[in-house]
Amino acid sequence: MVGSRRDRCGQPPAHRVLIRVPVPNVPVSVTTASDSELVVSVVGVSQRFGEVLALDSVSLALPRGQVLALLGHNGAGKTTLVNILATLLPATSGEARVAGYDVRTQSLDVRRRIGLTGQFAAVDGSLSGHENLTLIGRLLGLSPRRAGARAEELLAQFDLVDAAGRAAATYSGGMRRRLDIAASLVGDPEVLFLDEPTTGLDPVAKHAMWEHVDALISSGTSILLTTQDLDEADRLADQVVVLSHGSVVGRGTASALKAKYGEQSVIVTLADPDRPLDAAFARLSDGGFTNAHRRSDGALVVAVASSADLLPVAAILQGVRVAALTVELVQPTLDDVYFALTVAPTTSTTEAA
Amino acid sequence: MATTRTIDSRSPKAWTSAGTRPALMGAGPFTQVVVLTRRSLIAFWHEKSRLVTSLMMPIILLLLFSQVFGTALTSSASFPPGVSYIDYLVPAILVTTTMSSAMSSGVGIVTDLENGVMARFRALPISLMSVPTARSISDAIKGFGQAVIILGLAYLVLDYRPAGGSLGALGAVIVSVVLGFALSWLYQALGASLRKAESVQSVSMMLMFPLMFASSAYVPVASLPEWLQVVAKVNPLTYAVDAARGFSMGDVAWSTVGLTLLICSGLCAVAATWASRALRPL
Repeated sequence: MVGSRRDRCGQPPAHRVLIRVPVPNVPVSVTTASDSELVVSVVGVSQRFGEVLALDSVSLALPRGQVLALLGHNGAGKTTLVNILATLLPATSGEARVAGYDVRTQSLDVRRRIGLTGQFAAVDGSLSGHENLTLIGRLLGLSPRRAGARAEELLAQFDLVDAAGRAAATYSGGMRRRLDIAASLVGDPEVLFLDEPTTGLDPVAKHAMWEHVDALISSGTSILLTTQDLDEADRLADQVVVLSHGSVVGRGTASALKAKYGEQSVIVTLADPDRPLDAAFARLSDGGFTNAHRRSDGALVVAVASSADLLPVAAILQGVRVAALTVELVQPTLDDVYFALTVAPTTSTTEAA
Repeated sequence: MATTRTIDSRSPKAWTSAGTRPALMGAGPFTQVVVLTRRSLIAFWHEKSRLVTSLMMPIILLLLFSQVFGTALTSSASFPPGVSYIDYLVPAILVTTTMSSAMSSGVGIVTDLENGVMARFRALPISLMSVPTARSISDAIKGFGQAVIILGLAYLVLDYRPAGGSLGALGAVIVSVVLGFALSWLYQALGASLRKAESVQSVSMMLMFPLMFASSAYVPVASLPEWLQVVAKVNPLTYAVDAARGFSMGDVAWSTVGLTLLICSGLCAVAATWASRALRPL
């Protein structure tokens, strides 16, 4: 079974251990369910725009039928990498292959096998939804009849049948995004690039979009997804690659990354939030729980190694007569991983896979 | 249970054809241009307001110029004897109509670049030059339709009866459309380079007005100040208008027609090269 991409985690923990991890780029280590081939391979790709180094020797691999999430802040280099893989931009150096073809020297072969959904819905607003999809089908070489049939199939799949005849300019943001993804799927591509597909969508539209992506995953489409939404990566991706300032700073399954960089915490809601906790901190430290602090809302947060530490923490607090309303164990999230990898200074070197 | 293995992605063994989906090879060049031309025409048809506004300027120019300048100009010494101003004006209006129509190509290509449609086309297995080619063809078709409407209006309202007859009028329309086709390449090259609709519009207008007025379009070149006559004689619009006028008046100067075609071909070649460089993905 692959990773735990549909795991749902609890509240973010209140504190974080901050470390930044430079990761060696090749050979690429991947976790797979079975012997699948790579549909995307990036080896030592760099991209320079004048003085700016947008990508610095990035390497990654996407096995067939999997979802790889590229996680990173604005300007981390996610879109630049997608543009290189979609043959829109020549890399300054390095090698990138999609579906087995070199993106630079075999760009036409690559384009025959990919679908691209950019950061903004790329649909012709003056054409209807049906006309947009038929246009793409015809350009891909489908006959008018087959292009029309494929358009109808996709409109049904993306809940756009009622709006099929309306100009796309009249669509809501969510509808335009669905049409955009549908347009990327007209040719049933081997590899789909989704560049921040839920940016600007409301929570309902976002969840609906995730369900559409789930359906694509079920159909075996290999997806390279860029996102700033950690929930999105957690929910959809088999593998996560964290980019920061053009460099890969972490990679692995979401669960492995969380285990590596996240931290479980015990959060104690105090009956008296104003009570001094000096004695409690001292006893916790004596008990080996050196990482504890009071949160801004008054709650006590204690970093623990495992769920087995819950009872010892509760016993220590009881020993110093700290009355608790609730005591809960909080699992780490991808937020913790992201902060650990992108915010803090470098303190160690490792890879989670 | 998840298993971990290491794949050296540089190894050819990492690539096999098993499990791949059949790839669509992409349409042929002719189909690409036809499909994209149809796209531009459908978009134009959907925006009915554009249909109307695109005809407003030539109609206003036709009505205004024929009424305001008609008597004054025909009585001047530099005006060709025996020619009515409406006969003189209509071919010029046809040419300026297709010129205006061509301007929408530049804005159109900027819109495609801005809204990501061009990036989608770039990621398809098609020739990127199909996109501007289709825009130029669709603008030529739109320009043809608009020119025919202007001719009809002039016939019905202003009693325009070209001495060259229907064929002569058709010749004038074709010359106008050819110039519009060439200029649409220029506007698209500008659009692909400037990448802002406002910039394209202002530069296009800056080009269009001197071309229109420093030419033989509305007044004979001989009636212009001397320095402007020099400009008019190197202005390609002068030759296009003279060629169109020759057809409509039944007095075709084939050397002027040939020169017009040569100028338009050269403009197409230069602007298409410029546009292809500005749009090139890799």
